[in-house]
Amino acid sequence: MTNKQRYQRAFSTLHASDDHVMEVSAMKSAGKIRFNKLAAVCAALILVLGLATVAYAADVGGIQRSIQLWIHGDQTDAILEVESGHYSLTYEDAAGNVSHQSGGGVAFNPDGTERPATEEELLEELNSPDVVYEENGTVWVYYCNQKIEITDKFDDQGVCYVQLKDGEGVLYMTIKNQNGYSTSRHSYPTPESFN
Amino acid sequence: MRLSVAEAFQRYGDRLFAAAFSICRNQMDADDAVQDALIKYHTLGLDYTDETHIKAWLLRVAINCAKNISASFWRKNTVAWEEYMDELAFEAPEDNRLFEAVMRLPQKYRVVIHLFYYEEYSIREIAEILRCREGTVKSQLSRGRKLLKKMLMEEWNDDE
Repeated sequence: MTNKQRYQRAFSTLHASDDHVMEVSAMKSAGKIRFNKLAAVCAALILVLGLATVAYAADVGGIQRSIQLWIHGDQTDAILEVESGHYSLTYEDAAGNVSHQSGGGVAFNPDGTERPATEEELLEELNSPDVVYEENGTVWVYYCNQKIEITDKFDDQGVCYVQLKDGEGVLYMTIKNQNGYSTSRHSYPTPESFN
Repeated sequence: MRLSVAEAFQRYGDRLFAAAFSICRNQMDADDAVQDALIKYHTLGLDYTDETHIKAWLLRVAINCAKNISASFWRKNTVAWEEYMDELAFEAPEDNRLFEAVMRLPQKYRVVIHLFYYEEYSIREIAEILRCREGTVKSQLSRGRKLLKKMLMEEWNDDE
């Protein structure tokens, strides 16, 4: 028996779990995997942005430029600096206070390797909808110039479905109360597909 | 051409798992790598020239995913490969010893050895999958073989 035959016999005892392909197929049939390459990037970014601190790196040597950003329904002038997949953002909020925010993310190449997110990808993420839980108990969705109160819109399972319209069409949004949200251009993501 | 996710898994699932396992040495991590590869296969929606192309692409992605998982901070790695070996039904005792010897190799040798002996890829093809130089593959294969020979002695031939 050759080394190859012996090796193949020994390693043919390894078998992948069927559960995984069932999960992928289930996601596919439910339309949960709806991301294109860029949206998949954003999925990775969300995780990192959620952990972003409010510290501002004043000078990290990146490219600094002025942008306009929708923040809580207001179009706001902001200074954006991007360096190797990390960004820092400085803007004046509605009350006139200077706010700082920073974060970053990675994207996946087609071969599965990671790379730093580009400025365009970070901007896409910064312009994504925002769910805000106010101290008075109300819940709001902000997206571009849209501001929607969804406090009483959650069902018995604590899930709310919202349609947002922009220049590209309809954005379907599924929100779990205090537990994140997901969006799709095609249909409402099912609550089980995220978090 | 394209295969459905179910078809791709049916044809290559075990191969992807074995390649990922050669990196992770952990069942759960290897399963995660297979799932990640299948998700990328589905979401990217690339067009492939033939099934050989699909297989090589999936192997490369599964290997890269396995490397990412192995390097990640929150790696699960709850079951050691030695324990997982107890669950495997080897045909012969020497298969058990070969498996163990391969698992004891450094990671960079394991994956090259696996692609050469299990997938029967040439040095050039392995270099393409791993995106490295043929000379690197050749030297890693040679060093891996020497280590296997040292561990397995007469159970490992000098046939390649």
